Amino acid sequence: MVIQENLSIQRKLEILSDAAKYDVACTSSGVDRKGSGTGMGNSMACGICHTFSADGRCISLLKILFTNECIFDCKYCINRSSNDVVRTSFTPEEVCELTMEFYRRNYIEGLFLSSGILVSPNHTMEQLLRTLVLLREVHHFNGYIHCKAIPGSDPVLIEMLGWYADRMSVNLELPTAEGLKNLAPHKNRKSILKPIRQIQLRREHEQEHLGLPDMQLLRKQISNISKENEFGEMIARQIGLTAYQPRPKSGRHFVPAGQSTQMIIGATKETDYQIMSVSETLYQNFNLKRVFYSAFVNVNQDSRLPATTDGPPLLREHRLYQADWLIRFYGFQTKDLLSEKNPNFNVLLDPKCDWALRHLEMFPVEINKADYYTLLRVPGIGTNSVKRIMMARKSAVLDFRDLKRLGIVLKRAVYFITCNGKMMYPIHINEDFITRQLLEDKGKLPLGLGHDMSYRQLSLFDDFHVSPQTLAKY
Amino acid sequence: MRKMIPQRIYVCDDSIDGIFTAIYQAWSSRYGHANIKIEEKYDSGNYSNYELFSEYIPVTTDYAVAVKVAESIQAKISEEAYQMVYHTALSNYQGKADLIYRFLILGFAMGPKIVQHLSNEVVNQVFVLNRKVNNEVHHLLGFIRFTEQENKILTSVIHPQNNVLSLVVPHFADRLPQERFIIIDGNRNMAALHAPGKQWVMIESDEITENIEQEVSCKEAEYQELWKAFFSSIAIVERRNYKLQRNNLPLHFRKDMTEFTPANARSNHSIDRK
Repeated sequence: MVIQENLSIQRKLEILSDAAKYDVACTSSGVDRKGSGTGMGNSMACGICHTFSADGRCISLLKILFTNECIFDCKYCINRSSNDVVRTSFTPEEVCELTMEFYRRNYIEGLFLSSGILVSPNHTMEQLLRTLVLLREVHHFNGYIHCKAIPGSDPVLIEMLGWYADRMSVNLELPTAEGLKNLAPHKNRKSILKPIRQIQLRREHEQEHLGLPDMQLLRKQISNISKENEFGEMIARQIGLTAYQPRPKSGRHFVPAGQSTQMIIGATKETDYQIMSVSETLYQNFNLKRVFYSAFVNVNQDSRLPATTDGPPLLREHRLYQADWLIRFYGFQTKDLLSEKNPNFNVLLDPKCDWALRHLEMFPVEINKADYYTLLRVPGIGTNSVKRIMMARKSAVLDFRDLKRLGIVLKRAVYFITCNGKMMYPIHINEDFITRQLLEDKGKLPLGLGHDMSYRQLSLFDDFHVSPQTLAKY
Repeated sequence: MRKMIPQRIYVCDDSIDGIFTAIYQAWSSRYGHANIKIEEKYDSGNYSNYELFSEYIPVTTDYAVAVKVAESIQAKISEEAYQMVYHTALSNYQGKADLIYRFLILGFAMGPKIVQHLSNEVVNQVFVLNRKVNNEVHHLLGFIRFTEQENKILTSVIHPQNNVLSLVVPHFADRLPQERFIIIDGNRNMAALHAPGKQWVMIESDEITENIEQEVSCKEAEYQELWKAFFSSIAIVERRNYKLQRNNLPLHFRKDMTEFTPANARSNHSIDRK
C-alpha cells in the first residue's frame, strides 16, 4: 500500500472524491431548517441540486472519503486493501475548510462524509466524529451533513455521530447475505443491520419523547417475516442494543433526515424480485428514507465478478428505481410487480406499464371519478398529474383536451383511461395491441440509455424469461 | 347591426405595481372588460403591433392604487391567488398584464375557488407561468455561484429568464446571515445587497457594475480550482451521459457557473448590456 504524505489539498481532493464517487446517494433532502442567524447554513426538505456532473447525476454535497486507506478487502471496491492505488487521508481541519469555503460560494448544500476503514472501525469513526463536531461547534456549520456509520464500531460512537449529522447511512452493499459473504469477506449482514436498527430505535425514541407525530412510525410493522433470516432476528431486538447516551447540548435532533442505504446491482446473481423484497423490508421495518441502487462497475477487473464490457447495467438500475418509487409513493407492493415465476423487470416497459398490461381487467379508469390510488395506477400518470386532475375536476368535468392543457402526458395513459365514459380513440383493450403501441414509443427510455436497444428489441416479448446470465449483460 | 366600439388598450410599466395600476384604471372606467386590453411596456417597444381602431392609454404607475388592488385580491380572493398573480407578474411572458387582468376578472367573480379551476385556459396559463417561475427560482438556489472579493464581499452575477432576483435572495439571506453579498441580475440592471444584521435591499440602476467591481481575493482562484477538480473527479466515466446532464442543467445557466467557465474568466464581473 502506497501511503503518500504531503500531498497538496487539491491532489487529496481528487483522490478522495474519485474514491467516493461510486456511492450513489447525493441527496440533501429530508430536513427543513432555517438559518440560525449566527452561523452559516440552512436546509430545505426538498433538497437542492447544485450542479450536474458529466454522468448526469446531481451534485448536491461535497462527497468525499475521509481516507481511502482500508484494511478491508471487498472484491468490488476500488479501495480494497489488495489494490495498488495512491492512499491518502484528510485531516478534520481540511474537511472543515473545504466544506465551509465551498458552502459560502454556494457550490454545495453540505457534506457527504464516507470513509475507508483506517486502523479499525472505531478509530475511523472517531475521526469522522471529530470532523463533524468541529464543523458544527467551532465553525457553526448549519447546513446538511450526511455521514456513514461504520459497521462494527462502538454503538456509543454511532449514537454520538447521530446528534451531529442530518442523515446517516450504512451500506447494505449486496442484496443477500450470501453475496456479501462471497465478495466482502470482512463484512457480515448482522454487523451491517445492527447500526441500522440502532439508529432507527434511537430516532423513534427521540420522536416519542418529543411527541412528534411521524406518519412513518404509525405504519404498521409487518410481522410475518421469518425469524430465521437476519432481518427477522434484528427486528426482534427492540431494545438493549445500547444504553442511550446523554444528548449533547446542541439543540439538534437525532438524524433528523433519517437514514438511507445502498446496494450494488449486478455484481451477484440476485433477481430483481429478491432485491425489491429486501428494499420493501427495509422501508417497512427499518423505517429507511431511501434505498439506493448502484449499477455495478467492475473497477477491479476481478475474475470473480461479472465483466461489465457492455457498460454498467444502467437500464436495470433505472427499472429498480422506478419500482422503488412505485412502492414508496404509489401504493404498490413488490408482489404486485414481481413474483418467483416472473422475478425480473421487463427491459422494454417500465414496471407500471408492465403491471397494467397484466391487469387489463382494472382498466379503463374514469378520470372524473377514480380515487387517488386508482389514478396513480395508470401508466404515464404520476403524483403531480393526479393532484392536478383531482383539483381541476372539482370545478369542471374534464375531457381529453383539458388533460392536455393540464400538462398530463397522454402517450401511455390514453390506452387506460376514459373521460366522461369515452376513450380518446375507439380502441379495444387488448394486451397485444396495447403492448405493440406502447413499444413504438421510444421516448419512454431514459435519456442516453436507449441507444443500445436495437439489437435485442425483438427477442423478449411473448415469453419473458430472463436468466441471471442474460441479465448480467444489460 | 351593433355599433362598433373602439378597443381601449392601457399601456403600463412592466412591474406588478404598473400592472395593478392599469387594472384599477381599466376596471373603474366601466368601459366593459371585453373592450379593454392591458399591455405591459418593454424596452424593445410594444409587443403587439399598433392595432387599428384602438385607443392607446398610457398608465402612470400609482403605488397607492397598486396597494389597494393587492389588498383586495388578498381579501376577496385569497393569499394563494395573490401569490400566483405576483409570480406571473415576474415572468417573462409577453401579455402577462392582460392575462392577470383576465385572471382577476374571474377571481373576483369566483372567489378563492379560482385556483382550482385548472381547466379554464386563463387559470391554467397562470399556473403554467407560476411553475416556470418557481422552477427557475429553485434552479438558481443551487446554480448561483459566489466569488469572494478582496474585501470579503461575495458577489454573484445571474442571467435569469424571469425576473426572479427578489424571490431568490431571501434564501441566501437566511443561509448566509453573517456575509455581505451582492447578487446582480445581468439582464435587468438590478442588484440585491445583503449585510449582516440588516434587511436586504434591491437596487435598480445603470451604475451597478461600476460600484461593485473589485479585485477578487487571493484565495479565490484556489477554491475555484479545487471546486473544478472535485467536479471533474466525481463523475463516473463509465456512466457518461451528456444528454442527461444537459436535460438537468440547461446550457443557459452555465455561463454563470464556476465549473463551466475556463480559468480566470470569472475574475471580472460584467453585465451584458443590450
